[in-house]
This record gives sequence, structure tokens and C-alpha cells, in this order.
Amino acid sequence: MFLFNYRYRLKCIFKDRQMMFWTFLFPILLAILFNLAFSNLSSSDNFLKVNVAVVENAELDQNPAFTEALDGADDLFVVKYTTRAEADALLADNQIDGYIVFDPALNLVVNQSGLNQTIIRGFLDDFVQSSATITTIITANHAALHNGIIAGITSRSEYLKAVSASQSSPDSVVNYFYALIAMTCLYGGFLGVKEVVAIQADLSDVGARINLAPTNKLTVFLSSILAAATVQLLELIMLLAFLIGVLGISFGNQIGYIALTCVVGSLTGVTFGTCLGSIIKKGEGLKIGILIGSTMIMSFLAGMMSADIKYIVMTKAPILGYLNPANLITDSFYALYYYNTHTQFFTDILLLCGFTLFFSSVTYFVLRRQKYASL
Amino acid sequence: MQVYKALFKVIQKNRTLLMIYLVVFMVLALLLSGSYNPPQDTDFTKVKVNIAFINDDGDSQLVAGLKTYLAENANLVDIPDETQKLQDALFFRQVEYIVRVPDGFTQAMLNGEAVQLEKTTVPDSTSNIYMDLLINKYLNTVNAYTTNMPGLSQDDLTKYLAKDLAQQTEVTMISNGTHSVYAEKSGYYFNYLSYSLFAILILGVCSVMLVFNDTDLKRRNLCAPIRSANMNFQMILGNLSFAILTWLVLISASFIMYGSFMFTTTGLLLLLNSFVFTLAALSISYLIGNLVKSRGAMSAVANVFALGSSFIGGVFVPQALLGDNVLTIASFTPTYWYVKANNEIAAATSFNATNLQSIFTSMVLVLAFGVAVLGVTLVLIKQRRVEA
Repeated sequence: MFLFNYRYRLKCIFKDRQMMFWTFLFPILLAILFNLAFSNLSSSDNFLKVNVAVVENAELDQNPAFTEALDGADDLFVVKYTTRAEADALLADNQIDGYIVFDPALNLVVNQSGLNQTIIRGFLDDFVQSSATITTIITANHAALHNGIIAGITSRSEYLKAVSASQSSPDSVVNYFYALIAMTCLYGGFLGVKEVVAIQADLSDVGARINLAPTNKLTVFLSSILAAATVQLLELIMLLAFLIGVLGISFGNQIGYIALTCVVGSLTGVTFGTCLGSIIKKGEGLKIGILIGSTMIMSFLAGMMSADIKYIVMTKAPILGYLNPANLITDSFYALYYYNTHTQFFTDILLLCGFTLFFSSVTYFVLRRQKYASL
Repeated sequence: MQVYKALFKVIQKNRTLLMIYLVVFMVLALLLSGSYNPPQDTDFTKVKVNIAFINDDGDSQLVAGLKTYLAENANLVDIPDETQKLQDALFFRQVEYIVRVPDGFTQAMLNGEAVQLEKTTVPDSTSNIYMDLLINKYLNTVNAYTTNMPGLSQDDLTKYLAKDLAQQTEVTMISNGTHSVYAEKSGYYFNYLSYSLFAILILGVCSVMLVFNDTDLKRRNLCAPIRSANMNFQMILGNLSFAILTWLVLISASFIMYGSFMFTTTGLLLLLNSFVFTLAALSISYLIGNLVKSRGAMSAVANVFALGSSFIGGVFVPQALLGDNVLTIASFTPTYWYVKANNEIAAATSFNATNLQSIFTSMVLVLAFGVAVLGVTLVLIKQRRVEA
């Protein structure tokens, strides 16, 4: 009976085209859209050389040290020497971020405040400040002039050493895809609702027929749930393969733990559905509505619409994060990708197991020993 | 006007479904355009990068001076010195740069030994380059003093540093004319509007068409003592009124939020643009309504269309951040042209022939989409009637 029911439930689920769309095609579609929309997001704060113009005039010619310093900063700027009128035109056209003019003091002309403009200004400040330093030193110590102070100031030492935060790059875009997987796991709840409806005699004709059969309801239900979990896991693995293989999203390289997260996530999703399906006594529409609504709220809090939300929850209300299955699934993938230790990952997985257990027990206690006076 | 009334009765029955998208839009629009504050372009202000400053060295005047200097040029964010907390902050861009002063730094620096601070950054980012510039500047100046004025006390050193580094260059700001605070915000608002408008129109029109295209009901209607032209006219009028009603509801919040700004040229152009888009969206919804067979398929198609075109058309992610090939695909949707026109309207400080031409070209294209799709739909309906 167990295998018989299992086989037929699999067939029922696979033939339900609408179900397959929402639990399988919809997440893949969203993944494609995320990828199209976010692929340039992480490279958008990459540094591109700042375009800057310098107005050529008599005052500039009197400051060869400045021209020299600017030439030395060719890793920062793309410099164009031009006339003032031309510089104004370039600025109005947004071809340059700003232009430098000796008028007669050093002056920067920009049309907006931005990081690039701030960098130009930082460079100019640097030049003015170095002159001040040289003056101060020479006033106090005349000998310095002969000891090559000017050469000493223009030759810079590097005082910074890069230390990476983790073995993976801090690319916040991956979090959108992790949250998407969490949403897919909870959409497995659709399958859970479907199985509950199919086994409850007051909700469907199939349920009434099954209740007549001389078999243990728990056995039948367990095999139904197993069928739902199988489909869900299959869909999840295909989504994961699509994300990694086609879209090239990085998940770190701990395949075993990733698979574990998928299995636990699928079970949480399916039991979440059975739990909702058994508690809510009203029609199937309401069940699905509540399922979608709660999944969306949980995915939102896990950072599916904006990664910042996850950080705000993490720092301001960590409890909310731990009570949210979608966030736990997202966080497991995040911890595997980014953290050096596994403490956070195992905390998440244990809590997810706890949720699965809780959802299953609720389902069990609601569904058991139901008798119907009439149908 | 029985047909017209029946049409609105069907929509009435589906109001919960439609309300969901209305509420989603209102929340999105309020959250996202409300929290966004465009910079005011009247005076030059330094952009301050968020950084974390961690000191493993003892409290010295040198380190305190560096910290003060950084506090003037960047925002120091307080993050507890724990690996995961720092990792999180960097990942979610709470800070873009973490600098750590190693133990014994002050002493080594004063003795002129080679020593380095540890930085943890978003690799290759602009903020990384800028912070490097600032910190190296400070420490190189320290080095200049310690090598050229040996025996300088820390007290004097920090005083000299503070004096030198207070020097600033003049910045002149050329203003491109006044730009209302509301221009950019309302641009966002109208961009988000396209998502809900599309979803609501598809769902509303589809639920009506599903009822009227039901074979039995259609046969019954065809033998009613009412001219088919009259019936079609009422259907068109009904769909049009529904679309205009939806548009009115969606734009109403803009009047509450932006007030009289909506009556300036910018505001009126935004309204006109969204109205043109409404017509195109209605035409597409009408086509979908004639193709879709079940309510399940209806919500699937509505989501795919509304979400899909919004994602690639630049509603959720600005067009400037989308790749070229994505934009090429998107240019086959009216959403792309609608958002493009919106952005141009919102960005313009004054309207001249050049930008008006570009804006109206987009609007005409959106309208052309609508007409083309309507044509396809009419051919389809005609063919269906012949088959039936």
C-alpha cells in the first residue's frame, strides 16, 4: 500500500500543471530575471578612472609640481588638458566629473557632489596639504631642504595591507538567490496542502475514498508526504543545478552541506504546507492565499526583495531571524558561502529541523482520529 | 448598458485579488520612494564612505589623530570587533572599508620603521581607492615629520598634522538649474506604478474575458436582442473605463505625496506618460484575456508579464545598471520605453526640443505597441468567430 500510494501520488503531482508552474517554473523564471537584473549590480561599485580636465593657462605653467603630481596619479585619473570654455562644455555634457583650474589659487569646478568629485578634491587637498607640510618643516628645520625633503614627500610609501574578510568575495547579490531558494522550499507547501486535501474526507472525494480503505491512515499519509518531498527535492536540485550551471551563482564548494540544506529545506517546506492545510478549515483558496502571503513576508524578511532587510533583521531583531524558516534557509547558504566556521550553519539547520518537527506534530495531532458523522 | 454593468459586476467579484496588487504597490512606492532622498545640488559636499575603525594598539595621540581625521572624511560606523559581525557588515555594505591598527603601530611609526595597517574592503571598489588615498596621505605626512624633524613630540606632531590637513581646495559648484526634490522621487513612484498597473489590468480584464468567452455564455449572449456592434462597444467602453479607473486610483497617491508638483510640466508629463502606458497595458491585457483559458493560467501569466517586464524594463533595478543585451530584449516591451521616458522627464531640469523629442518618441512607441497588439487581438477574435 505504501509504495502503491507513493507511485500514484507522484503521478498526481507531476500531472498538476499549475502546481508544477508555481513550484518549479516560477522560481526558475525569477532566477533568470534576478540574473538579468542584478548581473551588473555588483560590478557597479567597481572603480573606473575619474575623468578630469585641467584648464591650461599661465598659472598652470607656473606650477610644474602640480602637473608632475597629476601625471603621477595616472592610476586614478584620465586627464585632459584643455581651455576653460571647452572644460565647461565637457562638464555640462557630463563627459568629465570636474575640472581643475588655477584661478589663481587651485580651484575645482564640478556640477554635482559625488564620490568621483570627492576623489578629485581629495587629490587636490593632498597637493595643497603637502605644500603646507613642506613649509612647516622647512621653517622649523632649514637643514631638511638639503636632505631632500621634497623628494621624500613626493615618494609615497604604501601603509595599507589588504586582508580579505573571507574565502569568498562579499558579493551581496548572491543573497537574492539564496532567498529565492528559501522561497522555493516554502512553495513546497503547495504540495503539502495538496496532500492534506487529498487525504481528508471532508475536503475531497479522493480523501473520502482513501478513508474507506482498510489501511492505516498514517501509513498512507506518510507515503503521500514522502511523494511530495521527493518532488520538492527534485525540483530544488534542478533549480540549484540551473543556478550553478547556467547562471554561475557561487555557493561555495561544500557540496555535502549544500545537499543537506536542500533536504532539510524541502522537508520544512512540505510540512509547513501540511500544517497550514490541516489547521485552516476553510476552502483551498484561503489555504493557498495564506501560504503565498506568509511565504512572501518571510522571503521579504530574508532579503529577497532587498538584501538590506536581512541585515537589519540580523542586527536589530535577531530573534525574528531565528523564527523565520525562510531566513534560516537563506542564512544556511550564506553561512556556507561566507563564514569560516560552521557554528552558524549548524544552528540554522538544527532550528530548521525543529520547525519541521513542530509542523509535522501539529499536522499529526490535527489529522489523527478524525471521524465524520456524514459527508 | 447591461453588458457594461455585467462587466463591472465581474470585476467587483474579483476585487480582493486586485486589491492585493494595489496594496503591494502602495507599500512598495511609499517605502522605496519615501526613504530615498536625492542629494541637494546647491553646495559641494564630500561623499563620506562608511568605514569601521578598529584599534588593537594602545591609546596614543597618533592613533586618535588618525581617527579624528578619518571621522572628518568618512562615517565611522560602530561595529563590534567579532569576525562574523564584521563579515556581515561588509557583505551587506553597512561598511565598505574596515581598517585595523595593529599592536605596536604607534611606536613603529614614530621610529620610522616599516609598518602597515590592515584593511578589509570590497575589492576594486571606488570607496576602497578613496580611503586608501586618505589614509596613506595621513601616514605619509607623519613619516615626513618624523624623518625630517627627529625628536618631535607626539603632541606637536598631531598639532602639525591637524593644521596641515585642515587645508582645503576651493570647490565651485555649477548648478544645472533648480531641480525639484520631488522630480526624482515621483520618477520612482511612476516607475513602480507600471508594475501594479500591468498586474491589475491583466487580472481584471482576464477575469472579465474568461466569463464572457465561456462558450455557453457566449452563445446565450449572441442570441440576445442586442446588436453585436452595440455589445462590442459596451465591452470596449467597459474595459476602457476599468483601465482609466485603475489609472486614477494609482495616480491619486501621487497628488497626496507630491501636491502641487504634479501640476508642473514635469508632473503633467509623468501623468501623460503613465496614461499612454495604461492604454498599451490595456491592449496587452485584452490580448491575454482572449488567449487565457483558466483562472490558474491567468494568475501565472499576470505574474510572469508584470514581474518579467518590470525586472528587465528597469522598474526594480535602474536601467543604468542593466546590461546592454538585457536592455535590447527589454526594448521589445512597452515597459522599457515607459520607464525610459519617465527617467528622462524626471532628470530634465528644463524642457527643450531635444529632450522633449526623445520623451515623445518613447510615448509614441508605447502607443504603437498598444495599437499593434490590439490589431493582433482583433484578427484573433475574428478568426475565432469563424471557427466557432
